[in-house]
Amino acid sequence: MLFTIGIGVLEEGLLYAIMALGVYITYKILDFPDLSVDGTFPLGGAVTAVLIVAGVNPLLTLIISFLIGAVAGILTGLIHVKLKVRDLLSGIIMMTALYSINLRIAGKANVAIFSKETIFDNEIIRNYIPEAYQPFMTLTILLIITVIMKLLLDLYLKTKSGYLLRAVGDNATLVTSLAKDKGFVKIVGLAIANAFVALAGCIYTQKSGFFEISTGTGAIVIGLASVIIGTNIFKRVSLVKATTAVIVGSIVYKACVATAIALGMEASDLKLITAILFLGILVISNERKRRVKAND
Amino acid sequence: MKKIISVAIMLALTAGLLVGCGTTTGTSGKSKVTIGIGQFAEHGSLDNCKNGFLEGLKQEGYVEGENLEVKFENAQADGAIAGQIANNFVANKVDLICAIATPMAQSAFGAAKNTDIPVIFTAVTDPVLAELAKADGTPNGNVTGTSDKLPVERQLEMIRAILPEAKTIGIMYSTSEVNSVSAIEEYKAAAPAYGFEIVESGISTTADIPLAADNLLEKVDCINNLTDNTVVSSLPLILDKAAEKNIPVFGSEVEQVKIGCLATVGLDYYDLGIQTGKMAAQVLKGEKKASEINFEVIEEASFYGNTKVAENLGITLPEDLVKGAKEMFQTISE
Repeated sequence: MLFTIGIGVLEEGLLYAIMALGVYITYKILDFPDLSVDGTFPLGGAVTAVLIVAGVNPLLTLIISFLIGAVAGILTGLIHVKLKVRDLLSGIIMMTALYSINLRIAGKANVAIFSKETIFDNEIIRNYIPEAYQPFMTLTILLIITVIMKLLLDLYLKTKSGYLLRAVGDNATLVTSLAKDKGFVKIVGLAIANAFVALAGCIYTQKSGFFEISTGTGAIVIGLASVIIGTNIFKRVSLVKATTAVIVGSIVYKACVATAIALGMEASDLKLITAILFLGILVISNERKRRVKAND
Repeated sequence: MKKIISVAIMLALTAGLLVGCGTTTGTSGKSKVTIGIGQFAEHGSLDNCKNGFLEGLKQEGYVEGENLEVKFENAQADGAIAGQIANNFVANKVDLICAIATPMAQSAFGAAKNTDIPVIFTAVTDPVLAELAKADGTPNGNVTGTSDKLPVERQLEMIRAILPEAKTIGIMYSTSEVNSVSAIEEYKAAAPAYGFEIVESGISTTADIPLAADNLLEKVDCINNLTDNTVVSSLPLILDKAAEKNIPVFGSEVEQVKIGCLATVGLDYYDLGIQTGKMAAQVLKGEKKASEINFEVIEEASFYGNTKVAENLGITLPEDLVKGAKEMFQTISE
């Protein structure tokens, strides 16, 4: 039983880690609390479900949902930068709009793709992977995608554009003094972040076998919790990259939830457990002191 | 201080894993079967499904506390939690999962797909659309159950009998519930034959209901409810507003008539649950595999009426309907 739970925790952790990497970009790097995540996660799912039903190759849906997520991120960015709406509100506006947009895209609130080929369930896997290894296929695929996405993000953050992105969150004035448009850099960051989130939504839908409009609710909380847990665990270990820390954070978060369930907590109490866990981590971290001071 | 808290959390987590492990190994003895019941949302109809399900199992010799252990979880209408519940049942290797309502059924089916855990669903309006069954009604895997498809034609026929003059029927539904959307389509297609026009009003959250109700009540002669989870959860509010305007509200299920809908030709979700429980018992006994049983629909919808509501509205329910009623309610229960 512990073994099955362990596999489940790793699967869920890795899946949400892709989303958490996106949240890491906005929350940690850009210092932008981007709530549009609650809408872009199901956006990726809606797009994926519709494309798969239409017979599009499941691998291709990964790229398409990534791109559509980026478009949503750009829109959030434009609302914030061009229309001068506060960051939190821009996200809320986009999240609200996406609810209706997602329904439009999917056509209905629930689209099943159980009988269709997905990246986790297809002929190649059924025919070429030995039976003994089948139960680990989902985990393997998730691991591969998560590692690829992490490495791509690491590479990007080392480019000139990546450095500017990091600079905007830390010291926006510096970016302006370099004669760069900080608004543009923010939009780029939001685009990448939401692309990651939509990709996670795409994978989530393929893994669960159906799209359901309510799956996005609370996505941002899971993302934030993963980022905060991860970065705090490795706070004093400078060798570990932040992106790795976020992935570990996501797995630890899912492990905590699984533990809570194993302890006999009811599923309906999960949000409370999440909140307490969240608070606990914040209290342990220095972060809280810094933020409270900054608010004074 | 910080260190102490971190250590405490770590210890709690480790202890949790060990405890979780210990308790479940104790119950997996085969003299007793363990089933997981996952319910998508909390309201009367679905609660009845669950109670009926346990009754159905009991009639077949599976009594909770004796030879049956039940793990019950409610997702409170949260899709992500429904998934978590399903995964948890699978990880705990329950002998059977009972899933109530479509998203829960799909989560359970997805989670149990590569295991030998059978999934029995109930209150899924369209199992074919949900891809739990193939177009010919055969299961799409180790999964079967019962559908709560609404008897649309008979409901319209009943409304016509009670309100001979009515022209428009208002239906409120949540855009996020796929069953409601397909029911609306069916009502729209059938209504003209009975001389009705359907006025629909889509909402996205419970918070939209008061305004949508006010708007809808201005335009219609009566309201007809679906088995929409969001709308049914807020039914008392809608009934209040409708009563103020003296507009009758028809239900889709017995529980709704109990709390103040005028009447319905509907399913009894308790009966639906019993039927589902019996299917589950067949699977648990090893008589048949879930993958060998086609999903079932309750054929006989019955008439339920509320005389107190009729009196308040100044409506007399047609005698032949009342005579054939499965149950008439004299009061409005809160």
